[in-house]
Amino acid sequence: MSVDTTGFLALLRREILRFLRRPRNTFLPPFITNVLYFSVFGVILGERIDQIAGVPYILFILPGLVVLGAISNAFENTSFNIFHGRWNRYIEEVLTSPLSYGTMVGAYVLAAAIRGAIVGTLIALIGAFFTDVGVVRPLYLVAFGVVITALFASLGVVAGLWADDFDDLTMLNQFILRPLVFFGGVFYSLNELPAAVQQVSLLNPMIYMVNGVRYGFLGVSEVDPNASLAVLAGLTVVVLAIDVALFRRGYGLAE
Amino acid sequence: MEPAIEIRDLRKSYGDVQALDGVDLTVPRGSFFGLLGPNGAGKTTFINVLVGLVRKSGGEARVFGHDVEDDYREARDSIGLAPQEFNVDRFFPISEVLEHKAGYHGIPRERAAERAEEVLKRVGIYDKRDTRFDWLSGGMKRRFMLARALITEPDLLILDEPTAGVDVQLRHELWDTIVDLNQRGTTILLTTHYIEEAERLCDEVAILDSGRVLDVASPEELMDRGTDDVVIQLRDEPTAVPDFTAHDDRIESVDLDGTRLVVTARQGGLVAPDVVSLLDEGGHEIVDLEIQRTSLEEVFVEMTRADEDGRATPEVASR
Repeated sequence: MSVDTTGFLALLRREILRFLRRPRNTFLPPFITNVLYFSVFGVILGERIDQIAGVPYILFILPGLVVLGAISNAFENTSFNIFHGRWNRYIEEVLTSPLSYGTMVGAYVLAAAIRGAIVGTLIALIGAFFTDVGVVRPLYLVAFGVVITALFASLGVVAGLWADDFDDLTMLNQFILRPLVFFGGVFYSLNELPAAVQQVSLLNPMIYMVNGVRYGFLGVSEVDPNASLAVLAGLTVVVLAIDVALFRRGYGLAE
Repeated sequence: MEPAIEIRDLRKSYGDVQALDGVDLTVPRGSFFGLLGPNGAGKTTFINVLVGLVRKSGGEARVFGHDVEDDYREARDSIGLAPQEFNVDRFFPISEVLEHKAGYHGIPRERAAERAEEVLKRVGIYDKRDTRFDWLSGGMKRRFMLARALITEPDLLILDEPTAGVDVQLRHELWDTIVDLNQRGTTILLTTHYIEEAERLCDEVAILDSGRVLDVASPEELMDRGTDDVVIQLRDEPTAVPDFTAHDDRIESVDLDGTRLVVTARQGGLVAPDVVSLLDEGGHEIVDLEIQRTSLEEVFVEMTRADEDGRATPEVASR
């Protein structure tokens, strides 16, 4: 194995172990939250709501909940680990090593994307206890899963480098990420909104992620899944390039 | 062969503050090199430029011929750093922290585990291998910092205040370990507040103050610039003593207090025999003689104080 691969795998492994070894912090919260979502929104409320886009409400919200869990966990993993490493300075163990900047970013992002994918899968499994979950377009589901977790893991890198305090991360999560998700078509169909609001909603990138994953599970989408996938993949590449450039410049890392 | 460290006109500024103000320095391969300076002299900034934690504002810095920015991977691979501040991953047990660090340097997992065992034994904390860093005592933390610097078998070991806050016994143990490494060919760069440490260990020291190198010399050469006291106890109180200063311009002053004669001179050890023979010729009987060598610490304080005075003058004049 080459020196580069060994270095990459060492950092990747460390980042994965960090979340695997504290399941109460990483897997238990989304488990409980999603059991509550499916019970309250899916079962209790869902029974009083008509079908949306031709599917029962509980099935309609499932892809959105998967997206919500996957991206917030991917984002949290990179943003928290990088910020925490800066805060306690142990990120210097990585920074003073011969890993290339691209390798550092790659390992942080992949570990976070894996966490996002595990949580997303966990949520789909919870959903399967409440309703029959099928996967109509598995390739699309995998493609969207990879792209959105990688995108939010890469965005988390920027956040982790930018934050000066733990409050900054909480603020990003509460005031930016969460509203985008809630207005991103997780709980309602775009068609139910007035035309003007629909147009504004199309500026929310979350719409494309939720619909893409919904297309994977149910085979229905309110926007073109191929265009969504292309735009999201392009965005991911751009954010990854920004991550590497920030590491190279030492933004938030070096004086 | 390329020197271990080669620095030309290195600069680092933070706004108006010049942390490094045109540093030139060469650290030969295999040497035990000391970097001395008061707090805020720029020692840690200097080290951090080499490992990539500080981006230089100007000048050149090479480690074994590798530019620290253009060839950062090669430069960093050759350095083992034990910083002054504890910057350790506190989530994992210390043996795993070492294995991770080895991994980043491309050492395969099995070999990394062996290396971790070796270095933990070497610094004497192998029985704490499953403990997290936070649960180590202060002395063990210092030992661990050295272990982490050694895990990658570096050609250049940089120790930033390695014995800060450790007891005498541990200090000597750490000294023994690094002297041994140096004898096996590892280049050592040491910064320290304990001047005695530099005096005892280093082949060469650079005195750094306010971001500039004031001097580079061996501790002996530096000490020769200070004055020693040759203290002589005479049997009888003399009525007069020979004019020593006329015989040797290294002698700076002579002080007689009853039967106690103190001759203050540069290179006191070389001056003492002449003083003794002059006294002998004059018929004075000597009962005791002691040479009080100046310490590197005194020379250091003198140099950095002189530098401060030198810098203070134009500022005052400009007001």
